[in-house]
Amino acid sequence: MLTISKVSKSFPGVKALSNVQLEVKAGEIHALVGENGAGKSTLTRIIAGVHKPDEGTIEFDGEIVHWDSPAAAKAAGIHVIYQEFVLFPNLTVAENIFLGHERRGFLNGIDHGRTRQDALDLLNRLGVSIDPDALVSELSVADQQMVEIAKALVHKVKLLILDEPTAVIAGHEVELLFGRLRALRDDGVAIIYISHRLEEIFDLCDRVTVFKDGQFVATETLAEMTNDRLVSLMVGRDMSELFPPKSSAPGPVVLTATNISVKGRVHSASLELRAGEITALSGMVGAGRTELAMAIFGGLPMIGGQVAIGGETFTRMTPSLAIEKGIGLLTEDRKGQGLAMLTDVATNISASDLGSVSHKGWLNHGREKEIAVSEIANYRIACRGPQGAVLTMSGGNQQKVLVARWARTSKKVIIMDEPTRGVDVGAKAEIYRIMRDLADRGLAVLMISSEMPEVIGLADRVYVMREGVITAELRGDEIAENRIIQAATQKRAS
Amino acid sequence: MIATFTFLTKRRGGLLTVIALILVLTIFGVLVSETFGTASNALNILEQSTPLALVSLGQTLVIITGGIDLSVGSMISLASVLLSGITNGDPLMMVVALATIMGAGILVGLINAGASIYLRVHPLVVTLGMGAILQGLTLLYTQTPIGKMPKGFSQLAYGKVLGLPIGAVVTIAAFVLTAIFLRKVPLGRYIYATGDDATGAQLMGLPRHKVLFLAYGFCGLMASIAAIFLVARLGSGQPYTGQNFTLTSITPVVVGGTLLSGGRGGVMGTLMGVYMVSLLNNLLNFLSLSTHFQLIVQGLIVIIAVSVYVENKRKV
Repeated sequence: MLTISKVSKSFPGVKALSNVQLEVKAGEIHALVGENGAGKSTLTRIIAGVHKPDEGTIEFDGEIVHWDSPAAAKAAGIHVIYQEFVLFPNLTVAENIFLGHERRGFLNGIDHGRTRQDALDLLNRLGVSIDPDALVSELSVADQQMVEIAKALVHKVKLLILDEPTAVIAGHEVELLFGRLRALRDDGVAIIYISHRLEEIFDLCDRVTVFKDGQFVATETLAEMTNDRLVSLMVGRDMSELFPPKSSAPGPVVLTATNISVKGRVHSASLELRAGEITALSGMVGAGRTELAMAIFGGLPMIGGQVAIGGETFTRMTPSLAIEKGIGLLTEDRKGQGLAMLTDVATNISASDLGSVSHKGWLNHGREKEIAVSEIANYRIACRGPQGAVLTMSGGNQQKVLVARWARTSKKVIIMDEPTRGVDVGAKAEIYRIMRDLADRGLAVLMISSEMPEVIGLADRVYVMREGVITAELRGDEIAENRIIQAATQKRAS
Repeated sequence: MIATFTFLTKRRGGLLTVIALILVLTIFGVLVSETFGTASNALNILEQSTPLALVSLGQTLVIITGGIDLSVGSMISLASVLLSGITNGDPLMMVVALATIMGAGILVGLINAGASIYLRVHPLVVTLGMGAILQGLTLLYTQTPIGKMPKGFSQLAYGKVLGLPIGAVVTIAAFVLTAIFLRKVPLGRYIYATGDDATGAQLMGLPRHKVLFLAYGFCGLMASIAAIFLVARLGSGQPYTGQNFTLTSITPVVVGGTLLSGGRGGVMGTLMGVYMVSLLNNLLNFLSLSTHFQLIVQGLIVIIAVSVYVENKRKV
């Protein structure tokens, strides 16, 4: 059905795909796996007509195709369910499902009654009860995912691509989804299934293709594959090389958060952070992990609870207070909320600590540069010196710049949200080492991560969240994939 | 019935609020002035609101796409001097003039859309620049009131059909047709989708460019038609006629519940917003407050209206 050969794609400063291949047959569910930054999403977007490949060919349904827009790929019978939903929050469920394929009635105008009825039928076929008249912004994340899936069933597709469809749904809903996907496969639809959850892949898929760092690694039949072999293909090296040894003796508690609530997202969550320890917050996307960390840092208002640090207790935090008390936060979105992309390394490193590089209110650029030079050496940041532009650096080096900045001001706690997102494997190992160094220097490190291997391989202690509630605290041998998934998907006790 | 009601409250929550405000203002007006509550004053308000209603209608579509058109005021000035300047009393030339200004309005709108799409400049900047260009062109053409309209043209402003001012009938027809378009034609739906999530609209393969050309072209055309009604009332085109319309055209849109961030709102809210603003201006006249005071009040209303609706913004 789909044959991709020798496709390459570069973005400014990044080679996202290099000479990759992928072959998907009609009537198979084909898993596409690889770590973050492996190029899965870029390939998805090329197949969907969003990006054009720099080199290589795409053959679909027996013809070489050159789609110049998503509309063209869609017309050819390709439907993509993106990880970040393509839903319009101010339109209703029914309107979203039929967007672009409106149900027509009188004088060829939109037939609202039929739109609603057909949407209801589709949702029933999926086995979910969602009000077709509800605005999408009013739905839970799981329901939004089901609406995305309903959209795929509106018209006949030849190739369906799902990017992490189970990141926000669990249990019963996953079973319903898999049932539908198997039925579609038996109807002859080709399906590309992208997921981080290896159990699902073995359960659902027929063949698997592995990408790593933008390159093709292998395509194999899953019946002949073992879990360990798949992981080693993805990571490209033994797990033990990737992670530094864990901490044996954690220090005293430096921060205690008690019954933190954030409107609609976090419900009465409590946690403790210890000096010298890496603590991970795990759970599904949308479980409230980022919001909990943000509340502790003061970036989101808490509606209840308190944070105790350095012998003081606060019921209201602000980022400036948090920084003053020795807390640092590296956001998940480096470009949007962290780095000043257009300026140089030195400016970025000193950004949160201008006091140390100024004298009587005037910036001392010489001092700023000295600090940058020493931090560049300290964290082994690959750049063209303190004046190097951050924009053209790799994700891993950008992340090191942020670590250097926050390690300067964070005396007690450093929070890192998805610290290795978009970072290649080599840089990952270095970031893990830096995180362990920070802990060894007496900091409490709180890591939010969706990557199961890094939670298991790096964290000394793990809190698991589901729907805004902390459902488990794991340590030592308890930190295992099945324990984490169980806690992340179990229904709340209430 | 229930479906209609939830539809109104969910997506047109602004509509009910504005209708309530109109009632409050009317009651207040009747209490403070004897002539305020008369039928002739009501017809007067309907007539005077015509140009504002038409520009705001165009502005609504643009704002739903997530953009804004700050060139409408200057477009009105240019259209009004061209209309009476080209016509200059000759009924035949009037036909030429009408075609010219409507064509110019559409063209300016298409340029606004094209520049924001292909030059990737935010519509705020494109239309602000366009506004300056149009005002400059207007002043190059004339710096004083120019030309005159044929006899009887003022009937457009003061005449009546079915007991209602012609302008009011045109207004209501235009709003109803646009409302049907937005609700019944897929392209109308795509206007909302584009404003809700432009990237998403692109990923879905929706005709985003067509949507923008349509919205801005329509907005330009509506500015020109508003100019026709203004010239009918004033007798000739004046180079600063449209000056206040840029801000004024946005007020009813936000008052009517259309989000400035795009994706949500509707034209019926805008129509009620127009009537509320006109009613308020009329009331201020009755209280013998100058038109300068009306400007101040309008500025306050825009800020308050936007702050009220920010609360209702998407939760996702």
